[in-house]
Amino acid sequence: MAKRVLIVDDDPEFVETTKIILEANGYKTQVANNGGEALARLEKEKPDIILLDVMMRTVGDGVWVSQKLRSDDRLRGVPILMITAVNKESDTRSFRLDPNSDGDFLPVDGFLEKPVEPDVLLREVARLIKQ
Amino acid sequence: MAGTQHSPEPERPARPAAAGKFEPHDTAGHLARIKGWHHEFETSLDSLVSYLQDLSKRSQQAQVECSRNFSRIADLSRAKTRFTYEVSHEIKAPLAAVYNILNVIIEGYLKDDREKQFDLLTRARYRVREVIALLNDLLMLSLLEESTGKLKKEPLDMKAILVPVYEDMKEYAAEREVRFAWQWGDELPALFGNPELLRRVFMNLVDNAVKYTDPGGAVEVEARKDGDTFLFRVADTGIGIPEDELPRVFDIFFRGSRARSESKAEGMGLGLSLVKRIVDDHRGTITVSSEFGVGTTITVRFLEHKKGGAGGEASTHSGR
Repeated sequence: MAKRVLIVDDDPEFVETTKIILEANGYKTQVANNGGEALARLEKEKPDIILLDVMMRTVGDGVWVSQKLRSDDRLRGVPILMITAVNKESDTRSFRLDPNSDGDFLPVDGFLEKPVEPDVLLREVARLIKQ
Repeated sequence: MAGTQHSPEPERPARPAAAGKFEPHDTAGHLARIKGWHHEFETSLDSLVSYLQDLSKRSQQAQVECSRNFSRIADLSRAKTRFTYEVSHEIKAPLAAVYNILNVIIEGYLKDDREKQFDLLTRARYRVREVIALLNDLLMLSLLEESTGKLKKEPLDMKAILVPVYEDMKEYAAEREVRFAWQWGDELPALFGNPELLRRVFMNLVDNAVKYTDPGGAVEVEARKDGDTFLFRVADTGIGIPEDELPRVFDIFFRGSRARSESKAEGMGLGLSLVKRIVDDHRGTITVSSEFGVGTTITVRFLEHKKGGAGGEASTHSGR
């Protein structure tokens, strides 16, 4: 059965191109444009992996969502691949500065920087689902 | 306690007995003299104590001030870090989107789907424009910061500046199905300013109003003379700004929570902070009143440029 990927990102072009790449390689995709939408979708069904943007301008950034997901028992075992438009180093540093974040390392399984090369994306998604 | 202020020359009590002559058996005289010294000593001690108290109070104040300054500097430094982070994100995100689009097309994911290719390339073009607009805003911001009050200014005919804004915005409002009314005063006072920057101010304010007003809503603009000022007011029936967010509307990168959740409303929140800086640079004032869900009114005022004998030379710049 085709593996299901939930793409959580508020950038329409990133979502579109990621869908094209994943679907051409046999994945089924679902999209949530913000953290709230993602959580609502996850109430209904469990994907095989979640691609999550770190800094969404809409309700709840990726850090908030990832922490929320990690505290949900039903989603145990669903890998989260965090994708950022800045870079891992400054993201983690930046969120440590943010009083709203607990400053811990992001509770995710993988971390990629935008732009993501199609083969890197496919390799990482396949690796995390297999784990 | 002898007063709170230290005075270097405390009032001396009159010394009893003649100062010049020492009388060994004059006990009463000695006593009086000793009493006098004692009194003098006490007075000096009192003023010394109050001086020391004052000094310690001042040193405490200095300490408080110092730590306040320190935390202000720390705040600024944090804000700067945050700024760099957000700018990087705002530039990198659209570039990454364009890169992805080119990748998908070049690597043959869309093969013969010409229509999809065209759609994505059009979107890529839009995202590139977004980056250019942002960079222009940033350049303008640093220019304004660097050269406060030094930008080239000239006497301006406001009608010439505002008519193009009116025409552009009328069209934009029609596109968005927002009712649009513009009231022109009988006369528009001349201003002394930078035409490009002021056009930006008016354009940005009206553009925001139209952008954040739902179809069916209304935007009203007023441009007129008011006393010795030029008044420009934009009122909309848009999404409004919650009260707790009002003090931050001029902050760099600030976008209201509602504006942020409307993913279609582009821009990244540099607009109003630029407007504020330009208005400040022209010694104008800007006020915002808003009710969440009801609408926003922004009023800008500039002092009228008096056409004096200098015939519009820079020297007539009031400097107020």
